[in-house]
Amino acid sequence: MSYVDAGYAAAFGGLFLYAVTLVLRRRRWERALRMSEVPAVEADDAAAHGERS
Amino acid sequence: MSAVPATWRPRWLTVVGVLAVVTTAFTVWLGLWVTPPDVVQGNLARLLYVHPAVATVALYWAGGVACAGSLLYLWPRTRSFFWDRLAASAVEVGAVFSALTLVTGSLWGRPVWGVWWTWDARLTSTALLLLLEIGYLALRRVPADPHIRARRCAVAALLVAIDVPIVHFSVDWWNTLHQGGTILDPGFELHVHGSMLWTMLLSFVAFSLIFVWLLAVRYRIEVLEDAVGDQELEVSLAERWSEDTELVGAGSGTGGSTPGGSAP
Amino acid sequence: MWHDAVLVAGKDLRIEARSRVALWQVVPFAVLVLVLLAFAIGPDQTALKHAAPGIFWVALLFSTVLAIQRSVAVESGEGTRDGLRLSGMDPAGVFLGKAAAVGLQLLALQVVLWAGVTFLFDVRVQVVWLAATACLLATVGLACAGVLYGALSAGLRVRDTLLPLLVLPVLAPVLLAGSKVWQAALSGSVSGGTQWLKILVPFAVIYLVVGVVLYGPLQEAA
Repeated sequence: MSYVDAGYAAAFGGLFLYAVTLVLRRRRWERALRMSEVPAVEADDAAAHGERS
Repeated sequence: MSAVPATWRPRWLTVVGVLAVVTTAFTVWLGLWVTPPDVVQGNLARLLYVHPAVATVALYWAGGVACAGSLLYLWPRTRSFFWDRLAASAVEVGAVFSALTLVTGSLWGRPVWGVWWTWDARLTSTALLLLLEIGYLALRRVPADPHIRARRCAVAALLVAIDVPIVHFSVDWWNTLHQGGTILDPGFELHVHGSMLWTMLLSFVAFSLIFVWLLAVRYRIEVLEDAVGDQELEVSLAERWSEDTELVGAGSGTGGSTPGGSAP
Repeated sequence: MWHDAVLVAGKDLRIEARSRVALWQVVPFAVLVLVLLAFAIGPDQTALKHAAPGIFWVALLFSTVLAIQRSVAVESGEGTRDGLRLSGMDPAGVFLGKAAAVGLQLLALQVVLWAGVTFLFDVRVQVVWLAATACLLATVGLACAGVLYGALSAGLRVRDTLLPLLVLPVLAPVLLAGSKVWQAALSGSVSGGTQWLKILVPFAVIYLVVGVVLYGPLQEAA
């Protein structure tokens, strides 16, 4: 592999890999956000039931 | 519930992403096949379409956003977590670009200068920039109150930014192995001509678009991390409050019956 | 004892995996030392190549101090050390576990330093097994001596300034022997290197044994 090819591979490959890690991190955090909202909704429902009874 | 939407895919980001891919593909095609080899450096000159653009992004775009964001956060009139998060994202993306600058530069230097590394002013100051950025990222990871962390990191980012003009002027201030400006030097003479110039300019556009896309996604992750942190805090608090009300309810029930039972 | 060692090593490594302090702070620090020493020695390539073995070991020693600080700091919370003592675990096992965790981190660090020195100073290790053996033996000694002295200074408020002062002179033989072995490994002379290798073995054994024996009493005294 020539130095030129290695340079192109390193630059574009590296940035592509970083982009992939960012997308995966974003997906993980969006899932975490959705998960953390659900119990709060359930807690609200529970509180509402408690007040009624 | 939370002010942060669970998905965020704005149209402009997709457009930037598509444009980035297209310009990148064009740059690679032009750079590797269409443009002629250089008279002096031969095919090695094709790294002209990668290394300078990556370095420019690392130094000026990332450094500039980090610096501006930090200043705007520190100034009370414009203080907002937006600037803090933007600056932090810029430093991380900038660190990636700085590292790639060193890698592509090293791959270019090896056949041209005969060594993978040399301690001349430009390379050294760029290595220092990368180390400073890593230090910032380590600092950012330390758990702290968001306001305190933002202020601390803003100052740290400004200190990192001090290295940027040093890197820029290193080729002028010191006798370096690294060459001076390729397109523009202090004499403002153009050195690169024809199809090579256009390809090089296109590469700047391509890497800049890549930078913007990466910055935006990284910023989104900052927002999500803080939002999840807040949400988890809210949920924990809500759980504690509901526990307390249960305990109070049980206590008042038994408290009412005991005095009557114990009195003879 | 071995069971406790594995437990403690696992705990320390898991804390590191979660907090990534060694990755984000100790490794960049080691690279920073390489860069700073290069500044100090100046741009002369031959001078740098001569100094490369010493630079590797100095950077490693300074980073070891940081790694030990971190290993001690992990248990500096309210009553954590007491909890560890009261848990009924064999103190010798705790020592071995902590030393193993530090040792593994140091090994990973040495990989980075090896690559860094090769790249930044343009040197190449000719006799790989010699250099690698030195690194392995030294790691045992560094980790054991380090954890022992860390326990000595744990709980003291001046720990941060005291620990380097206490432990670096103790680690100096490793620096000396390691540099000499690496010099031999870089230049290709095996016989010169094996002489110095013989210093690293007793160092490692002595501090391993002393640590196992003295760690318990040290914890009681603290």
